[in-house]
Amino acid sequence: MSKQISQSIDIAHLGRVEGHGGIHVEIKDGEIKKVDMEIYEGSRFYETLVIGKHFTEVPPIVSRVCAICSADHTLASQMAVEDAMGIEITPRTRLLRGLLLHGSMIESHALHVFALALPDLLGYPSVLAMVEDYPDEVTAGLGLKKLGNIVQEMIGGRAIHPVNAVVGGFGKVPSKDELADLAKQLEEALDKTMSMVELIGSLELPDYSDPSNIYAALHNEEERYSYLGQWIFTSTGEKKPIHDFREVCNERVVRHSTAKQSLYSDKPFMTGSLARININSHLLKGRAKEALEQLLPEIPDYNDLHNNVAQFIELIHSVERSLVLIRSLVQDPLEDEEPIRQAVRSGVGVGALEAPRGSLYHYYEIDDSGIVTDADIITPTAQNLANIEKDFRTALTQKMGSSKDEIRAHLEMIARAYDPCISCAVHLVDVEFK
Amino acid sequence: MAKPRVGIYGLTSCAGDQLAILNCEDELLTLVSKLDIRSWVMAQSINDEETELDIAFVEGVVATERDLNTLKDVRERAKILIAIGTCAVWGGVAAMKNHLSRDRMREIVYGDRAQHIDTQKALPLKAVVDVEYELPGCPIEKHQFLSLVGALLHGDFPEFPQIPVCSECKMAENECLLVHNGEVCCGPLTMAGCGARCPSLNVPCVGCHGPVEEAHYNANYRALRAKGISKDDIQRKMGIFASPAWMPKVLVTDEPLGGNGKGKDYVKTD
Repeated sequence: MSKQISQSIDIAHLGRVEGHGGIHVEIKDGEIKKVDMEIYEGSRFYETLVIGKHFTEVPPIVSRVCAICSADHTLASQMAVEDAMGIEITPRTRLLRGLLLHGSMIESHALHVFALALPDLLGYPSVLAMVEDYPDEVTAGLGLKKLGNIVQEMIGGRAIHPVNAVVGGFGKVPSKDELADLAKQLEEALDKTMSMVELIGSLELPDYSDPSNIYAALHNEEERYSYLGQWIFTSTGEKKPIHDFREVCNERVVRHSTAKQSLYSDKPFMTGSLARININSHLLKGRAKEALEQLLPEIPDYNDLHNNVAQFIELIHSVERSLVLIRSLVQDPLEDEEPIRQAVRSGVGVGALEAPRGSLYHYYEIDDSGIVTDADIITPTAQNLANIEKDFRTALTQKMGSSKDEIRAHLEMIARAYDPCISCAVHLVDVEFK
Repeated sequence: MAKPRVGIYGLTSCAGDQLAILNCEDELLTLVSKLDIRSWVMAQSINDEETELDIAFVEGVVATERDLNTLKDVRERAKILIAIGTCAVWGGVAAMKNHLSRDRMREIVYGDRAQHIDTQKALPLKAVVDVEYELPGCPIEKHQFLSLVGALLHGDFPEFPQIPVCSECKMAENECLLVHNGEVCCGPLTMAGCGARCPSLNVPCVGCHGPVEEAHYNANYRALRAKGISKDDIQRKMGIFASPAWMPKVLVTDEPLGGNGKGKDYVKTD
């Protein structure tokens, strides 16, 4: 039956994702001719916007690449600038940044798992439509999302586009009382989140496992499950220092997208929660480990649709880890300290971290008056685009002959499993592209 | 009374203003129960793009042909069009280098094989269509958005006081970062609403809400220069947000501004 099938499927504007994208598929005589993840978000050319700016002005500019990952862009750019200038931050700044990163992860994962992906899996057009049938889950999901925002507000000064995190440190430090109150809220959230393990485990996800999938994630020398790392690990067993990020993300320009795509050794790869779980999950502890054993017992897990499950496990990890960081922070007096600023020097720097959707790289060249002369930002969604198309092909091959509506629903589900951040992905840029 | 039909749209942007709406976690369910949300692509997968709208919220800049068509279509269908966020109101960060050639910017970022990528000068909504209300902010402040919706639901006119960040900063009793530290703080020129968030954290204002009405550009420029801050430093810092709104009025020459008309062209910042 499938041999005679010819059809084209267009999803003009993918809903419940951040930014503007669509899917275009052409099938002729049962053969897949075209599978495009189309991106038509307009370009803002961030790598040109920061050229000519002082290094202290870079974070508030690049934060605007994307609202959902604004804390991540802020921190990655600060780390890159500090790397270029040789600025050493204090241990306390390190703890506060870790906390901010977890706040961003909690907010983004809660938003994605509960408001954007769960409606797909339970058959609703939006989270708002779910309220009547799943009031507790929706309330808990929004509560977690809010908690992520509370962390970002307390540490970053604002939930979107943080202002308190600056090059070299922080403007102001939260008080011990504020942190104690936050810890209490995190404790409560941990219990609530654990109570949803069953719901997440009961979700029936299509199986598009492919053992040839490649995953990439940062790895921390300190051997803990961290969103910061000095190394890029791939599931093929390679290990590269973050300064060589371009060797992992070879970018190319494609006709159907204003975002570039990344290939590793000419093959698509996945970055993000599932990649991190596949590469680093042996380092998980506590209740995150419990959830992992229940929800993803077999690692590596090659079903990319399990990314949402991996995000849920990371939600638990981030809540637990935030509590550990708060305990470390309150051990010492918390007086304000001036951000580290030293004599300006020229240099080249890289900042890398695991953003909610995967590895994020920022690169800057700075001259001896502190002015940026070159920049490069490689976002997770850009790295994932080629892999999303690969997964579309796998699904289309399996679903050949199914109704257009069913295929369409499955393609949308795959795209959303990645939680694509299209604002980020646009204009991602490699100036060296040839 | 029937619920107002509402559409929430994002043009080229970071989606921060739509996210700020989603971040009204405590109010979101009430909000949704008072509005008939016909279109919100970021939050729902079934959207009606044919219907007449009572209120349309639009964030982002017009930077592609697609943006332009979306905006014109929304304008035609909406009784009240509200620009949300500094991009939609002033052009924001996206318009920072509008004086540069878009072709050249595209080439720097994508290389020389990317002519198919559509790009245009980043414009705020009012450069293209009529806009009933504007709510600046990068992102918009949640409390201002909620009071805006509240006012509209009650048939009132939403209004926000035209006072600068400086006023809120004084009320917070902060030490002035400009006077005491000689830092370039955009507070005197920037529309309030944030509660002087940044200066309260010892961080100078970067002007993310865009200009307040009747800002004293010249006086502030002179005050900064008197602190020994170079023209380049002032230009760079003020050229981040709402640059097209500020640049023609200030910083054109090194001398105090005399209204010689030169200010009409955008200043090159690099």
